[in-house]
Amino acid sequence: MSLLDEQVSVPRRTMTLFFLIDTSGSMEGNKIGAVNDAVANVLPMLDEISAENPDAEIKVAALEFSSGVNWLYSEPKLASDFVWQDVKAGGLTSLGAACVELSTKLSRSGYMQSASGSFAPAIILLSDGGPTDDYESGLSKLKSNNWFKAAIKIAIAIGDDADKDVLKQFSGNSEAVFTVHNIDALKQIIRVVAVTSSQIGSKSSTAGDTTKQDQVIEEVRDAVENIQGAEAATAVDSSSYDDDWD
Amino acid sequence: MDSLNFSCQGESHIAAGKVCQDYSYSKVYKNGNATAIVCDGHGGKRYFRSDIGAKIAAEVTERKVKTFIDEVGLSLLKNKPFTQHGTISEQITNQDFDKTSDIERAFRQLFGSIIYEWNAEVLAHATHNPISELEKEGLEERWIKEFEANINLEKVYGCTLIVYAYTPEFWLAFQIGDGKCFACDSSGNWSEPIPWDERCFLNKTTSICDSGAIDEFRYCYEGNGQSPIAVILGSDGIDDSFGSEENQANFYVQILKSIAKSGLDATLSEVETTLPQLSKIGSQDDMSIAMIYDSDKVKSTTSKMIKWQIGNVNRAITEESIKIEKANKIQQSLESVEHPTRQNMIDLQYANADEKRAIEARTKLQGRLDALLMELGDYGFTEDNSDLENDKGAKVG
Amino acid sequence: MAELKKGDKVTLTSGGYVTIDKELGRGGQGIVYLVDLNGEKKALKWYLNAPDDKFYKNLEHNIMSGPPSDAFLWPEHLTRKGKGSYGYVMRLRPQNYFEFGNFLLAKKSFRSYTAMLAAAMKICNGFMMLHRCGYSYQDLNDGNFFIDPNTGDVLICDNDNVMPQGEKSGIMGKARYMAPEIVAGGIPDKYSDRFSLSVILFMLFYANHPFEGAKVVACPCMTETFEKKFYGTEAVFIYDQADKSNLPVRGIHQNVIRRWPAFPAKLRETFIQEFSHEKLKNPNTRMIESLWEKLIAGIRDTLVRCPHCGEETFIEDSSKCMDCGKDIDTSRRLKIGSRSVILTKGTKAYIDNDNKADAEVVAHPNDPTKLLLKNLSNSNWTAETPSGKIKVVEPHNMMPVNPGIKITFSNTHKGEFILETNK
Repeated sequence: MSLLDEQVSVPRRTMTLFFLIDTSGSMEGNKIGAVNDAVANVLPMLDEISAENPDAEIKVAALEFSSGVNWLYSEPKLASDFVWQDVKAGGLTSLGAACVELSTKLSRSGYMQSASGSFAPAIILLSDGGPTDDYESGLSKLKSNNWFKAAIKIAIAIGDDADKDVLKQFSGNSEAVFTVHNIDALKQIIRVVAVTSSQIGSKSSTAGDTTKQDQVIEEVRDAVENIQGAEAATAVDSSSYDDDWD
Repeated sequence: MDSLNFSCQGESHIAAGKVCQDYSYSKVYKNGNATAIVCDGHGGKRYFRSDIGAKIAAEVTERKVKTFIDEVGLSLLKNKPFTQHGTISEQITNQDFDKTSDIERAFRQLFGSIIYEWNAEVLAHATHNPISELEKEGLEERWIKEFEANINLEKVYGCTLIVYAYTPEFWLAFQIGDGKCFACDSSGNWSEPIPWDERCFLNKTTSICDSGAIDEFRYCYEGNGQSPIAVILGSDGIDDSFGSEENQANFYVQILKSIAKSGLDATLSEVETTLPQLSKIGSQDDMSIAMIYDSDKVKSTTSKMIKWQIGNVNRAITEESIKIEKANKIQQSLESVEHPTRQNMIDLQYANADEKRAIEARTKLQGRLDALLMELGDYGFTEDNSDLENDKGAKVG
Repeated sequence: MAELKKGDKVTLTSGGYVTIDKELGRGGQGIVYLVDLNGEKKALKWYLNAPDDKFYKNLEHNIMSGPPSDAFLWPEHLTRKGKGSYGYVMRLRPQNYFEFGNFLLAKKSFRSYTAMLAAAMKICNGFMMLHRCGYSYQDLNDGNFFIDPNTGDVLICDNDNVMPQGEKSGIMGKARYMAPEIVAGGIPDKYSDRFSLSVILFMLFYANHPFEGAKVVACPCMTETFEKKFYGTEAVFIYDQADKSNLPVRGIHQNVIRRWPAFPAKLRETFIQEFSHEKLKNPNTRMIESLWEKLIAGIRDTLVRCPHCGEETFIEDSSKCMDCGKDIDTSRRLKIGSRSVILTKGTKAYIDNDNKADAEVVAHPNDPTKLLLKNLSNSNWTAETPSGKIKVVEPHNMMPVNPGIKITFSNTHKGEFILETNK
């Protein structure tokens, strides 16, 4: 008899990738079209990463926010199962409400499993404007959430009207905000960020020296150099007051 | 009482050429007392001697706990009911502003002495073993400088610590950092007697190298004559391989059943071959367990453990059946739609996939159930539901 | 021994009775009950084992004499002996007061340095008044003090162990708070109380016992023999200048490790003196309460609000804010005898030691380079301008902080505004 016989399950861990998509009126037209196209196309790639990865399977959840907030499905789906339904633009930018909604689902009673069965989630925020609601209280609630604290957080600013300060506050790191200036760059960056976050986020980390978020940022920065119309934020060395202060 | 412990290098450590940073220890003393310890040295370059820190922590703790038990344990804990004590921050959250009790003071003294001695031995080790060229590879310059100036030395050796100490009159357990302590009672039920610390989350953990380490210890004790029939300490490499507590306890049941059936030596060699496999298919991390158990009681409780497993499998089967029912309802409601929308089609697609998965899972569970029932039959029992409830610590399963 | 139950009536020596409502807590000596006295909620401490007659008589005497100050939750009524024991009635402790032990474990923190200093002042004052009445405390420990973290107000409990000096209550205090000579078997007196006071003050400021360093944590269990050694015969201050064998330990004594260098030097120097080997051995050289008060007042004079970030900061040699690091103009001062109160916008000044702010520095409404001083007290100030004019500043009124103006506060303290230019 082996100790690992058919009575014992050793499940794969789960890494959930969240898309938070601004579907306010200003996204109408080719921006929202590009988002729909890019996300639908990246899903099969995520499925591939998931299938080849012995450490974890990747699940996807998507939240659109405009005048209200709406999850595309009521639970995270395996990347292979996720059928993308095009989102439509219209209305305001309720980022605060989106933060509150995300915070509710980042819990064991929401979308997450036990911590020991999970990797930190990856959260990708896409926006082309500034919040029209009380995002500060929503964000501060979200920032106290342990899953959010541990998450890989990347923000994509679409055009110069995006409020980068808000996106910085969301991702907790100015370098985690990437800006795109054309539709093609938008499509490419969605793919790069989603793929990189999934690859790094679903690996058991042994390095421990650089956070997974930093690893993602570094790889995306490299990629951004080759994407015309995409730019990374300039870096400030803050290691002396970031490290070892927990 | 008997004991068993084993640590192995994790799959990812093998790949990266890193040593095993876990350390485990277990011992049954002549007077009938027993102690089990698991320490997990932190990964990450910053903690480049955490394997040594883990070993030092285990050795220091063994000595301090022994003195504590021999000198004050009985007078302090005799007749005391099962009691759990969280970290200071946990007490703040719970608005616990009661007077500090003698027992609290005594445990604090014990934890303080462990930190103190660990600090001292770490300093001695660093002094006698200057940083080598090999160790310097890949380290940040400031860490090397700090090490050579004896600054933040303890970080280099940082690790977690879980301890269980048994005596015939009382037992105690305490912990700083992640990893888990599971206890099995004479009804075959599992619990986690040491309170959890919410600051240990995903890859974050509290540590003996933290500046406020003394406030991060959490503990439990019981002195009214009751004690678990088995206590198993595991490093987080084990926890992360099983995801859920019930799943993990289920694995421990397999170990206890093996002990009941084949004895300690055979089980130890099973554990030695299993843990590296588990690391490979599970967390990839270093793996440690250390356990103390009463082999007679484990034997006499085996049938109850199997019943516990059967109960869990039955519940899982019910859950899958509910999923199938739910999927079927969706299928029925959508199959009759004449002009399905895109949303209808997607929903149906999901329902079909869910149903398929649930059926597969249920079939597998049925196989498990059959095997367990057979196993129970070997003990001359049939299934009934007369198991006792257990209220010690966080219940598992 | 008899415990009481709800509805039980206990007769008082003063006539009347209290009715038991419920148990509030219990300790080694007895149980504290919530009781009703003529419609008023009170606390009754009921001894589990009735102490002897001398103890009873002492309680009776203390009740007659009344509390030394409002810091004491003093016995108010004594019960008749009955049901195998007796007890006494006192005020209830309000909910917003927390046991000192919670502050030591950092479960509760002072809201401000002002509150911390107020607590220190109140404790000193309480002991001074106690000794002035001829008592000694005898059983001082972290369980006797309850502190409001917001204001720093203090309530001193368990006053049944207060005895005339030279007598022994028979209730042994905890070794951690006893003077070394008492640990060795001596009789508590005001000198040993002063030692306990210095320990309590040290713990209040640094959240660590002055003798608890490496030596004390080396052993895994604190037995009586060890206690006698570490707190008595072999006591060594953790920052003893000559003996470094008992330094605080990383991971354990983090509060004191952090606060010791950050708090004012005067405080450090005083504790180094008070816990020096020589002073430990010579009880009659220990600092008296009024000098502690003076020290605390002096430190309070250097605690200011940073005009830039609004946080509290101590001003020592450097006039940089501890919090935001910006330079603070500390040139404007109020001289009161040897004291020099630093005046910055938002700072409150304490002229006497009653923990009530007497003055507040406010910005001039039109000229940001000027400051005003507002009278927060209940009595008039009299000011004399450099040219000799006499002006009265009524409560809530303000006066300019101009060098050369002399002020008499509430007919007691005299001060003068100066410009300190050498810093």
